[in-house]
Amino acid sequence: MSDATVAVKGQGPSWLILPGIVWMALFMVVPIAMICYVSFWTQTTFNISSTPTLASWKQFFSSDTYTGALWTTVRIWLIVLATTFIIGYPTALFVGLFVKSKTLSTVLLVICVIPFWTSFLIRVLAWRPMLGKEGAINIILMKLHIISQPIEVLLFTELSVIIGMSQIYCVFMVGPIAFMLGRIDRNIIEAARDLGAGFGRIFWKIIFPLSLPGVVVGAIFVSVMVLGEFATSGALSGRKVNLLGNIIVTQVGSLKWAMASVTGVILTVVMGLVIAAFLRIVDLKQEL
Amino acid sequence: MESRVLKPMLAVYVVAFILFLYGPFFVLGILSFQQGPDGGPQFPITEWSTYWYQQIFGLTPPSRIAPLPVGEALIRSLILAFMTMVTSTVLGVMSAQAFRRKFRGSSFVFYLIVLGMMVPGVLTGLGTSLLANNVFGITRHWYTTAFATHVAYTFPFAFLVMLAILNRFDGSVEEAAWSLGVSPFKTFRKVTFPLIFPGVLSAMLFAFTLSFDEFPRSLFAAGGTEDQTLPLAIYGTFSVEIHPNIFAFGVLTTLFSFALLAVYGILMGMSVRRARKLAMQEEIA
Amino acid sequence: MTTQTAIFRIDGVTKSYGGVKALDSVTLEAGVNEYLSLLGPSGSGKTTLLRVIAGFEVPDSGRVFFQGRDITNLPAHERGIGFVFQNFALFPHLTVRANIAFGMANGAVAVSAQETARRTQAVIDMVGLTGMEDRGVDQISGGQRQRVALARTLVMQPKLVLLDEPLGALDANLRGRMRNELRAIRERMGVTFLHVTGSETEALAMGDSVVVLDRGRIIQRGAPDDIYSTPASPDVAHFLNRFNLFDGTLAGGTFIGPFGTVAAPKVTRAARDVYAIRYDRLRVVPLSAPAMGPALKATYIANEYLGSSVMNFFETVDGKVVEVEHHLSLGAPETYEPRQDYLLTWSPDQAIVFGQEGT
Repeated sequence: MSDATVAVKGQGPSWLILPGIVWMALFMVVPIAMICYVSFWTQTTFNISSTPTLASWKQFFSSDTYTGALWTTVRIWLIVLATTFIIGYPTALFVGLFVKSKTLSTVLLVICVIPFWTSFLIRVLAWRPMLGKEGAINIILMKLHIISQPIEVLLFTELSVIIGMSQIYCVFMVGPIAFMLGRIDRNIIEAARDLGAGFGRIFWKIIFPLSLPGVVVGAIFVSVMVLGEFATSGALSGRKVNLLGNIIVTQVGSLKWAMASVTGVILTVVMGLVIAAFLRIVDLKQEL
Repeated sequence: MESRVLKPMLAVYVVAFILFLYGPFFVLGILSFQQGPDGGPQFPITEWSTYWYQQIFGLTPPSRIAPLPVGEALIRSLILAFMTMVTSTVLGVMSAQAFRRKFRGSSFVFYLIVLGMMVPGVLTGLGTSLLANNVFGITRHWYTTAFATHVAYTFPFAFLVMLAILNRFDGSVEEAAWSLGVSPFKTFRKVTFPLIFPGVLSAMLFAFTLSFDEFPRSLFAAGGTEDQTLPLAIYGTFSVEIHPNIFAFGVLTTLFSFALLAVYGILMGMSVRRARKLAMQEEIA
Repeated sequence: MTTQTAIFRIDGVTKSYGGVKALDSVTLEAGVNEYLSLLGPSGSGKTTLLRVIAGFEVPDSGRVFFQGRDITNLPAHERGIGFVFQNFALFPHLTVRANIAFGMANGAVAVSAQETARRTQAVIDMVGLTGMEDRGVDQISGGQRQRVALARTLVMQPKLVLLDEPLGALDANLRGRMRNELRAIRERMGVTFLHVTGSETEALAMGDSVVVLDRGRIIQRGAPDDIYSTPASPDVAHFLNRFNLFDGTLAGGTFIGPFGTVAAPKVTRAARDVYAIRYDRLRVVPLSAPAMGPALKATYIANEYLGSSVMNFFETVDGKVVEVEHHLSLGAPETYEPRQDYLLTWSPDQAIVFGQEGT
């Protein structure tokens, strides 16, 4: 039957969308607009007033602490993006393409997701006894006589932040990529193999391009989360690594709302640019 | 040929990957059995004991190490997660229902909602605090401002889950009910809802677990120490010295999550088994 | 038929989807206790027409009347018009009994529990589902599901039941049986059925009257045998799937087609010139035989047994397939040599000629 059956009276009347719109407008759009607005307010020691000023903006860009945090954020974001991709892609390749049994691939994905049912903060904290001077990694390496002195740069450095974030977020890469790989028609690969193409060629000509939308989705997930981070960097760097998120938290802690807002606006802009750039690479609406 | 070499290599890699994912938890679990109250949060284990577990439940004599301030926080988090779950699921079902029909600006609304899961918690948390302090002049609480931000975060998940379910839903059963003289509202209650219930269950699970573990939004929007949720209480112990009691607590919350997951799994399993039974009979018939 | 006895009437109903007119100013009415078949190819708007009457769609313009009342803007659940879906749309989470009692148990008009139970049982017995009451709707066969769908609708005692290709989901065997049952049940209940179908045999076999729909317009309405013997246009003849249609030119009382020039004394007015000859009106003779009328040389390809008749397929020089039906009641079929040429001939007064010159 080709007669259209959409647009039915009574099935999902449009007013049902209103509460959702109102909620999102009130508790997401307005708050972010508010951040932009407050970033131009005048900050006194313990108070802010709505007198417009650019003082906080000037202060942000003239201070090495703040601009430094911006660059650290961008640097850590790029590194973690790369590590999660490098760590996650082979796993996704195995789960999505090499495992023939549907059950096994589901089981593997579930195994990857299970850690998410542990508190985020506990997951972060779990890295401390791993990486510390008397931590598990140092003990194992010493036992194996690979090192004679414990490695001290493992904890409370930028490296520990990167290790922690890579572990926490790599699953967000694995999921979408495995999903896209799972959708590839095996016959195409078989056909290419019959034509004598080696795996490398098949990978670069067929598999990787087809998995690209998954990579982009994964990259968006990871980016959004890493850019907004402050807990992991706070807990694993011993406050040595300051991201934009950490700046916001400390500024709010000392009641510097205007500066926190400036940082918030910058974070929003960075995030917007990153997402827009990713959506440029792949037209998601077309792919999904 | 390549796959004969490549596949085992990848399999080994995946095992290593899983070790990487789980390694810290093993260490955490082992250290939670550290001797107490003098044992530290690192190796070696001076003596195996369940001291830190007992301490969480207040079964140990007072010592220089204060018990984790988690009791009330846990209750607050559970209530908050429950409130968030109900509100998000209701909003999610309503919005997804509305999306069954094309309406003007539907793709704009879609992005508006989905943005809620993309915007970092620091931003919504900060913005909501500013709004509460400077515009509405209200005090922030876990059950007001933090609740609002939690829903703005979890509602998109519930919405997407319900959208996926309703996309595959055959509307003719609803039309059949109307043609039998049953009002759209009653039709939703008696036909639509029972049929989309597995999806509702998933949406609820998403909303509950996300809210229960939510940290950045609560940090800004929940107000003072008397309003701490569980993640805030845990975060509070970060800044001071760490003791193995937090590890023991981590193990316990993980077990709690698994229990929750098991309940969900059983409920889902029941409805899936029913569906499979149906499908099988369909083939026979 | 007058408006007084009409159970429903739609008046100039138009409905478009994104610029495409599914219904183009359709006017139609049906009488009390009538079986109306609505025949049309897919995309002709026949399902849309049903959905407009049921209240699932609102027409862009035009009115819908039911029992003398304008129901154009009345929601579906307040109309009291039954609807049987092609996929049956049974409630998968309910038993047979609960499916049938659903309308009474949940409708706006309160029906007592005893009354509900009594009527449910009565209709279950009528459609022959006794003993199946407590089964899930997925534990019964396709034909039984069809009966549940029908019983669920009929138990509400509607005055009009709309059936959207109700037999489409059944296998051929069952379809034949359900056809008879549908007719019998309708006669017993005294309701009006509006039955949409894409199958010409079904439409001709079941309706007291048949309406042919094409591209959102009604192109013919009449008793089945009228439509069968005198289709109003080449399109109707085409949908009936019983006519060989030849394009040609009609000029001054003669039709010039692939078979040469044939006299066309009686012409039905139509937009284009078409010569139609029913499958069972053609005779097959050897090339050497003298033609007793218009004749067309064609190559025999294959045949197909249809039970009560044999269908023979021929191909003309210009590649057109011509079908010749032989009723077995007229004797054993002749056998033809494949790839052999024959002469197809007919009596000119049995042809129907359409053309712009027609009256």
